[in-house]
Amino acid sequence: MNSRFVSLVRKELLDAVRDKRSVMAGLYYAVFTPLIMCGLFMVLITQMSSPDDLKITIVNSEGAPDLIRHLNNNGISHSDDASQRKKISLIISDDYATQMLAAKPAEVALQADSSNEKLADSIRRVSRSIERYSSEMAALRLIIRGINPSVVQPIKLNKQDQATRDSKGGMILGIAIFTMIYSVFISGMNLAIDTSAGERERNSLALLLSHPISVRQLVLSKITAVSIFAMLGLLLILLVSKVAYMLVPWQELGFSVGISSTFIIAMLIIGLPVAVMASALQLFVSFMAKTFKEAQSYLTIVLFVPLALSMAASYNIAPDQLRWAPVSGQQQALMELIKGKEIPLLQLLVSCGFTLLISIALALGIERMLKSEKVVFGL
Amino acid sequence: MIKVANLSKLIGDVQALDNLSFSAENGQITGLLGPNGAGKTTCLRMLFGLLKPDNGNAEIDGIDVAVDPTAAKQQLGLFPDPFGLYERLTPREYIRYFAEISGLSVEQAKRATADVIHDLQLEDIADRRCKGFSQGQRMKTALAQAIVHKPSNIVLDEPTRGLDVMSTRVLRGLLRDLKDQGHCVLFSSHVMQEVSALCDRVIVMAAGKVVAVGSPQELCDQTGQGSLEEAFITLIGSDEGIAA
Repeated sequence: MNSRFVSLVRKELLDAVRDKRSVMAGLYYAVFTPLIMCGLFMVLITQMSSPDDLKITIVNSEGAPDLIRHLNNNGISHSDDASQRKKISLIISDDYATQMLAAKPAEVALQADSSNEKLADSIRRVSRSIERYSSEMAALRLIIRGINPSVVQPIKLNKQDQATRDSKGGMILGIAIFTMIYSVFISGMNLAIDTSAGERERNSLALLLSHPISVRQLVLSKITAVSIFAMLGLLLILLVSKVAYMLVPWQELGFSVGISSTFIIAMLIIGLPVAVMASALQLFVSFMAKTFKEAQSYLTIVLFVPLALSMAASYNIAPDQLRWAPVSGQQQALMELIKGKEIPLLQLLVSCGFTLLISIALALGIERMLKSEKVVFGL
Repeated sequence: MIKVANLSKLIGDVQALDNLSFSAENGQITGLLGPNGAGKTTCLRMLFGLLKPDNGNAEIDGIDVAVDPTAAKQQLGLFPDPFGLYERLTPREYIRYFAEISGLSVEQAKRATADVIHDLQLEDIADRRCKGFSQGQRMKTALAQAIVHKPSNIVLDEPTRGLDVMSTRVLRGLLRDLKDQGHCVLFSSHVMQEVSALCDRVIVMAAGKVVAVGSPQELCDQTGQGSLEEAFITLIGSDEGIAA
């Protein structure tokens, strides 16, 4: 019984390793996805981290040398090159110096198109910089007059806004971990099709069933073979990610996504039930198809399900229910782990339990199908 | 020895098998002759438990297929139509794989594979992948798979379909060898020449029923016809679906 199972699995793997299509599918995904992700993260981080010098048009800058110095220190300066500067103009009024001297409001005009969203950040930056200068001047004037500047500041609002950074970071983590979980679906997919629909297409299924093996043995061996492929794909993507993610300048985000050995081991353990479910699901769907191509088109639709589950987990859509679901449950646990928090064990166990239950149900479904005369012979 | 008794099977609206009974003895080549659609393949599939009969049973060496399919299948070798080769495996790997899942240990399977490759003179192609094999090479590989575990019964579904004259002669020689070794050889065919050249016993089937049983000579005598072909037409009442 056992040696037959080993023979069945060994043959599936031997056959799969020689199938370029099966090997390449997993390989391409595992090697290129982390690299694409890295490129994406680098672009994202540059956008989010400290902005470059902001070039704008400043008219009559000699009228307010101190203000201009303050702006320059904050990275805002005048440029004559129209291709470099933003369409923001700062016009210093002619009577700026005299008004300033007389301690009256000195006028500075900020001209820009506020409906242009690309400019919104820059406009806010210029006006905030000027406001800061203005309040510094006010404080100085009060001090000269012997008044503590804090009397005109009844409330000191201490803003500690980390919302954008955190949610964007969460999204990045979600995507990074999802690409890894998804690899168990991608890596085994071609093998799953080849060993089920392909077996029907080649007419070898009936021959196989004519031998003294039980259908259950056959189903389990196929799930095992596909799961092994899926896990190899997962291992590969983890190793590639480990190297690739070292190249991303995470420190600018305030947290880092390091793929430690602990994380790799945790991911492999947590990924195992997902790999088994992915294999059972893909085999189940592929056995319904009579040809490789037919199975491929079914699977494209089916593979949207894990994608949707994971997206929902990353974007906090109905997170309460999804904490217990396959794929999204594991993903949330892994996100906690990579953030350095404690893994929600109960939630992880329940979602892994569900994952295995679904796998068993699918395996029984395949077994039923292979006992059906309709499926085996298309009667 | 293969014995079927009162097999009936309804597929869709068609009575594919209708109370079919016959037996095939060891040390004999038995031909299942019938026009296309007579139920030959359906009957063979039932021997392997792949189709469940509505009625009746099949026994392999006295083991009821419905009761212990694994033990029954252990005593059977199948030469299927189509062959169902794995293109990416070599014949040696392919044959060994089926030897192992037929219950041989890894060592036994290795030895049995080497033996059958020698017996069928497959040495020159044994370690090439099956992709691109000629029909004759495929036939030999499929036959090696069917007999590697030395089953007492060998079932062949339309074995000469698509083979050229040389390959057909080779196959006939191999089947005679199996018979001389005491195996029970059962094959289905709709080719008259095939059956008259090989068979010790012919079971003539039409519309899921046995129409006549006997040696080719007996069938001729029984119908008073000079050739098996004429006898056959007389027996089934038409020449539809029969190749000469």
